[in-house]
Amino acid sequence: MKKEWKKPELEVLNV
Amino acid sequence: MMNHETISLQDCVCQGKGSIVSDMGGEKVMLSVQNGKYYNLGEIGGKIWDSIENPISIGQLVSTLMREYDVDQNECEQHVISFLAHMAGEGLVQVGADGHRE
Repeated sequence: MKKEWKKPELEVLNV
Repeated sequence: MMNHETISLQDCVCQGKGSIVSDMGGEKVMLSVQNGKYYNLGEIGGKIWDSIENPISIGQLVSTLMREYDVDQNECEQHVISFLAHMAGEGLVQVGADGHRE
């Protein structure tokens, strides 16, 4: 059973 | 700055140096020592990061992901190239004919 695909996104965190 | 038009499936990609990476709740979080920014790669972005510890062609990377995830090839290629272009633009990965192009 394959996993669900979600578009990979690079999120820049505001730290 | 690299954009997705300049990256091809034949290019190799590998992790850039100078990042501290941690798993948080199934997602990959990264601190770039070079620019001081924090990033969240998410679950699949984290999987991509783990897969490029050693230089690998983007075509091989897509094949690896397709074995694990339910996604068609064209969509996977577009998403992966877009993600890697963003990573390369932030200096987090190296992409090129040998995985070492700046």
